[in-house]
Amino acid sequence: MNVEAVLAGAVAGGTSILYPTLGEVISERAGVINLGTEGSMLAGALTAYAVGIQTGNPWAGVVAGMVAGSLLSLVHAFMVLTRGANQIAVGLVVTFLGLGLTALFGQDFVGRGVVALREFPIPGLSSLPFVGRVLFSHDVLTYLSLVAAVVLWFMVFRTRTGMKLRAAGERPDVLHTFGMSPTVVRYAAVLCGGALAGLGGAQLSTAFTLNWSEGMTVGRGFVAVGLVIFAAWNPLKAIFGAYLFSGAIALQLQLQAEGSDISRYLLQALPYLAVIVVLAILSRRRANAAPEALSRVFEHST
Amino acid sequence: MTATTPMPGDVGADPHGHTPADLPDGATPPDPIIIEEDMPRTWPDRLRSWSRLAAALVGAIGIFSAFLVARGADPIVVFEAMWTSAFGDANKLGETLIRATPLLLAALAVAVPAKAGLFNIGGEGQLVLGAIGAVLVAYSLGEETNGVLTLTLMAVGGAVAGGLWAAIPALLKYFTDTSEAIVSLLLNYVAVIVLAWLVFEPLKDPMSTGQAYSRPLAANQNLPIIWGNRVHLGVVIAVVAAVAVWLALRGTRWGFALKVLGGNPEAARRAGLKVGLLGFSALAIGGALAGLGGMLHVSGLENRLRPDLMVGYGYIGFLAAWLARHDPLKSIGAAVLLGAIAVGGTGLKISAGLSGAAVNVLMALVLLAVLGWSRPAPKALR
Repeated sequence: MNVEAVLAGAVAGGTSILYPTLGEVISERAGVINLGTEGSMLAGALTAYAVGIQTGNPWAGVVAGMVAGSLLSLVHAFMVLTRGANQIAVGLVVTFLGLGLTALFGQDFVGRGVVALREFPIPGLSSLPFVGRVLFSHDVLTYLSLVAAVVLWFMVFRTRTGMKLRAAGERPDVLHTFGMSPTVVRYAAVLCGGALAGLGGAQLSTAFTLNWSEGMTVGRGFVAVGLVIFAAWNPLKAIFGAYLFSGAIALQLQLQAEGSDISRYLLQALPYLAVIVVLAILSRRRANAAPEALSRVFEHST
Repeated sequence: MTATTPMPGDVGADPHGHTPADLPDGATPPDPIIIEEDMPRTWPDRLRSWSRLAAALVGAIGIFSAFLVARGADPIVVFEAMWTSAFGDANKLGETLIRATPLLLAALAVAVPAKAGLFNIGGEGQLVLGAIGAVLVAYSLGEETNGVLTLTLMAVGGAVAGGLWAAIPALLKYFTDTSEAIVSLLLNYVAVIVLAWLVFEPLKDPMSTGQAYSRPLAANQNLPIIWGNRVHLGVVIAVVAAVAVWLALRGTRWGFALKVLGGNPEAARRAGLKVGLLGFSALAIGGALAGLGGMLHVSGLENRLRPDLMVGYGYIGFLAAWLARHDPLKSIGAAVLLGAIAVGGTGLKISAGLSGAAVNVLMALVLLAVLGWSRPAPKALR
């Protein structure tokens, strides 16, 4: 087995799952679960792809993708925070909205040549044996995703902003007592989460798959919501979660390439099963790590 | 008590305004008992709530029209074409009803666990497994078996397969505290992969070229056609299932226990209800209902397995359940409405040349209107 190829594939494919996972960590830290992440990813993927083609500049596309992702998450935030609708239901509806809108507006872009985010091997480091290919021969957004994880970890646990964020998810009245509005913090967190999901989608279409097709995220946004539990709502641990999923994809591709006896169709289930198994193992241990306000989402439903 | 169930609780929308921090340190917050106090009681209230919802629905249609205009399509033409596709004549109405059949069962699959406070987002996968289970039963029985017996066994096979698929998130929920919402959702992708594997490899019809599908069912393995050319008995069976679920939820101890569990798990536990078993039964029965939906679809209409057999049905069924606020009888109407919009996608495609999936936008907007505007907004959030 070519371990180097699997690991390099895991890092390359993990970026588009790491961003939405980070976004969902932020959102859930503030107490809002957002299954619309899948929709935001689709919106980001199409918008980045389309704007990249129209402007010829992939970075304009990336920025537009983030905006599109956060606009869709604004729908979620408004419905949940202002209209008081159920988070799980609204999240799925928002994903549906994203699916429909990207189908409606993406039609003309199917099969159009991508303006790709090029790979940017880091000079020197990329020629190192093994780690060079695994870690240092990717697109810029992949390096940035790791930086983002560290920065967000610092933000969440070491800054005042992070304190407010966590307070909104754990003890909203305390924020209230100090004259701040938990609702405003939650809005900001959900929008930030949507932008990161959009960024993940943008990376997926313009740097990884290099094409656009309807529903191309195939559940990555939903997987991200699951991985947040794996990551114990910690941005640094989200890195491992994302690479777990993308590692399973890379492993499956490698097994296919090596002509494994297992059907290639069944191998495709591997990444989803890996996430389910890991969640089953970890969920009980993670129960106390969950932001307090989040458990209430699941408690009252009828 | 009105027959309508309250909308599931929402963060920040606790009717009593409790938050965990109202309590002294170390005390567990009481589970909120949701009383249907946000349901209008008087006629002026009802009128106000209906007009608010009506305005939201008009807004939804308006926004959808704006998107159509942005794509260079004339909304009037599109809506007309959608209406004609869905209700234009008897055949088209039939098409809508056929489409609504698996949607209704998928909606029931969401509604039953929802009574117990559980989220089943795995309807899509459970439908797929139901179709697979039914077809496997049909293949193993062969063509010689008596028709009624064959169809009954196929229905049982579909229901068992769907139920077992839903049992996975149910078991994980009770043994490992894993979120049933996430697991059931991710299993949809696995189910579709299993279906693709079956039709591309072991069950592939040797006659199929290019597109992969399984061997067709025999004539006695098809549900009888009851109206026109395509409307099959499954339409009736789905409605009967909805009524049966309604009766079971309202008239049996099990149904009552589910509602207690959904309203206040702690109270249910203290009252000695077997909380784990109840929740498990709700999810498994939900899965079985969706499985039956998959069987009806494949036996009544599709006649064979193909990779995109059930695409979207489970998710639209989820929307139908929420549209009907988890009421089994109202789910019938919700399934027909969303089925009509789905069928209307064909009209949209033909009249405006737009992707048929664009009707998802309309469905989503209608749902947003209903989720957000069928009752007053929560009072100022803290």
